[in-house]
Amino acid sequence: MASRILLVEDDERIRTSMRLSLEDEGYDVEETESGEDALEAHARSLVGPSFELIVVDIMLPGMDGFACCRELRKVSSVPIIMVTALTDTNHVVTGLEAGADDYVTKPFEPKELAARIRALLRRARATDGGPVSLVFGDLEIMPEAGVVRSQGEEVHLTRTEFLLLCELAANAGKVLSREQLLERVWSYDYFGDGRLVDVHVRRLRTKVETDPSDPRHVLTVRGLGYKLAP
Amino acid sequence: MIGTGARENGSASPPAGAGGPHPSGGKAGPSHRTRRRPRRHLGLAARVTTTFALGALALSGALASITYFSVRSSLISQEESTLAHEAIANAEAVKAQIEVHDPYIPSALASVNGARGAESILEEANEWYPSSPSGVSESDIPAKLSELVRSGHLAEQLIDLGGTPVLIVGVPFLHTATEHVAYFQIFDMSEVAGTLSTLLGALILAAVVTTLLGAIVGRWGARRALRPLRQTARAALSIAGGQLDTRLESDAYSDLAVLTSAFNKMADGLQDRIEREAHFTSDVNHELRSPLTTVATALSVLEARRQELPERAQKALDLLSAEVKRFRRLVDDLLEISRLDAGLGEMNREEVSLGPLVEHAVAATRHHVLIDVSPDVAERRVMADKLRFERVVANLLENAERYAGGATRVVVEADGPWARVAVEDRGPGVAPEERERIFDRFSRGTSGRRRGAGDGTGLGLAIVAEHARLLGGRVWVEPNGSRGARFVVELPVQPLPEPEASETPPRRPPPRKAAKPAPARPAGGQPLSSEVASPGSAPPQPAGRDR
Repeated sequence: MASRILLVEDDERIRTSMRLSLEDEGYDVEETESGEDALEAHARSLVGPSFELIVVDIMLPGMDGFACCRELRKVSSVPIIMVTALTDTNHVVTGLEAGADDYVTKPFEPKELAARIRALLRRARATDGGPVSLVFGDLEIMPEAGVVRSQGEEVHLTRTEFLLLCELAANAGKVLSREQLLERVWSYDYFGDGRLVDVHVRRLRTKVETDPSDPRHVLTVRGLGYKLAP
Repeated sequence: MIGTGARENGSASPPAGAGGPHPSGGKAGPSHRTRRRPRRHLGLAARVTTTFALGALALSGALASITYFSVRSSLISQEESTLAHEAIANAEAVKAQIEVHDPYIPSALASVNGARGAESILEEANEWYPSSPSGVSESDIPAKLSELVRSGHLAEQLIDLGGTPVLIVGVPFLHTATEHVAYFQIFDMSEVAGTLSTLLGALILAAVVTTLLGAIVGRWGARRALRPLRQTARAALSIAGGQLDTRLESDAYSDLAVLTSAFNKMADGLQDRIEREAHFTSDVNHELRSPLTTVATALSVLEARRQELPERAQKALDLLSAEVKRFRRLVDDLLEISRLDAGLGEMNREEVSLGPLVEHAVAATRHHVLIDVSPDVAERRVMADKLRFERVVANLLENAERYAGGATRVVVEADGPWARVAVEDRGPGVAPEERERIFDRFSRGTSGRRRGAGDGTGLGLAIVAEHARLLGGRVWVEPNGSRGARFVVELPVQPLPEPEASETPPRRPPPRKAAKPAPARPAGGQPLSSEVASPGSAPPQPAGRDR
């Protein structure tokens, strides 16, 4: 069955062309033209067929893409790709911090977008054959069940955050470079944007650390990368 | 665009004057300066300092001279009158001795030799009688003095006798009513001379100290007076360096309020203009990108159905695809270069290994090319702006691909704080007169016009030059042996800061002057070569994401 994708884009022509292109890739696309509509569509999908991925344009009238991302993140961990014409680092980082898993910049190569979508979907479906439960102090990770508990309470992570944590946990005590993490978590086999890793680590810390400014679990190894304290 | 006028083309020129310092990023165009006069002038501070020092020297010198000479004359005249009295008294005593007790003159002289070990000598009828045989002789008495005394005058003279300053006092008297006798007493004046030379030393020292103090005060005053100027210069440099919100504090120097307010007004205007331009750029950015996205996406739908189209439509589609691709690149390049001009490009230095950085940059462009990494560079981790670095390498490779049939080799070397990446090709090469111009915008070399020109944007090398300039490095092109060209980018890299247990990833690099060559990892003697092949199912290259 074709993966369902929600496309949020206000420019009708771009939206139509994107839908045509994504349908060519074999996806089942639903269009909305505003952030509000997107939230509504997502709410509807909770009872009907659910979306496996959402593509959000940043420049939207009314609720912008950042706000839309944040709202979606409150209720869902569905993979989100942000589409932006704004290339300032600030905008990219803001988008990632709002909860996006990845981003593309207009005018993107349609194949590039398709590849990102494929990578995120493949990852989302991938099941980890690792141990049932990993415990690091007050942090408990159950890769199979997709559950993380901090101090006994379940923590809601996005798929990317979860995979990032699992990757670090599978190599607990070992330093993973940004490039390695990009390759393993984002499935990028090229030199990606290290900010993706930095922002997601930051977001992960706000969820699993008691004091995100003094992390005990996810540690930065300066000059090398990140590691999970065993 | 702001900044093009002062754009430094030096970054794109061949390494003229090798051995000299590398061109720094923030040099202002020399053409704006007032005409240089042939003579070298002292700086204002140096001049003020010199004037103060000379003034202090003149003043203290004059004061010291006056002091010295007045003290000297009063001291000597006082001494002279005392000694004259003593000599007169002694002369009386000698006279009395000779007349009353003992006509033998030497013994008479010996009996009255007074205090201070003063020697004396007596002349009577051209006959000289010294008080001691080894002491003063007649030749020591200046002829003029003895003349004066013999003619009946009391006289004295300061002379230097065998290195000792002495005062000779001559007293005439009559012996046996007719005979003129000249009595000379010689007083040692070295004590007075010692006092005077001590005084002179002290005065010279005082003059030197005063001069130095004058220089120090002058320097301090000059620096203080020039401080607002320096602050203005600093502020101007800071604005030139992109800190557009730099302003002078208006209340710091009330008498310079005019300058301050004029400067701040200028900075306001400049900032306003640049921000408007940047805003415009970003608007253009958005307005161009949206339709281009539609076109590119719609085109991909058509391309997927290429086989269903008639042959003529296929040809038209191919033309459309090629032009849209080029248009996209042109928009990307134009936006990138206008952002560079507006100073909006951000510096994101992070730690990377030089070798893999270049390898990845090459792999991302999907060009098959031999990478030659010198062994001391391979694993060297440095602070560098990865995205810019990749962009520079990618543009050079694309340039080689487009105009020279592809790069033949990429060489990575390190030279102290500099990393050099050379992209070599075996194409037609670049004519000497074009080696600088080729880095200008929209200026393709003659060979560029001949082949592949339809595909390029004419901005790739200009972007390389801009990046290199902003990174504090430079780029140039040189012949690659007998055939082809060799584009060399030289960029500053910094060794890693000392590892710390810090939690935040390093965003700010250490100041550049702290750059030291990183210790080279031990490596084999052979250069590492690796054939980088593009991965077959590589996701699209990140070229569009890094700006």
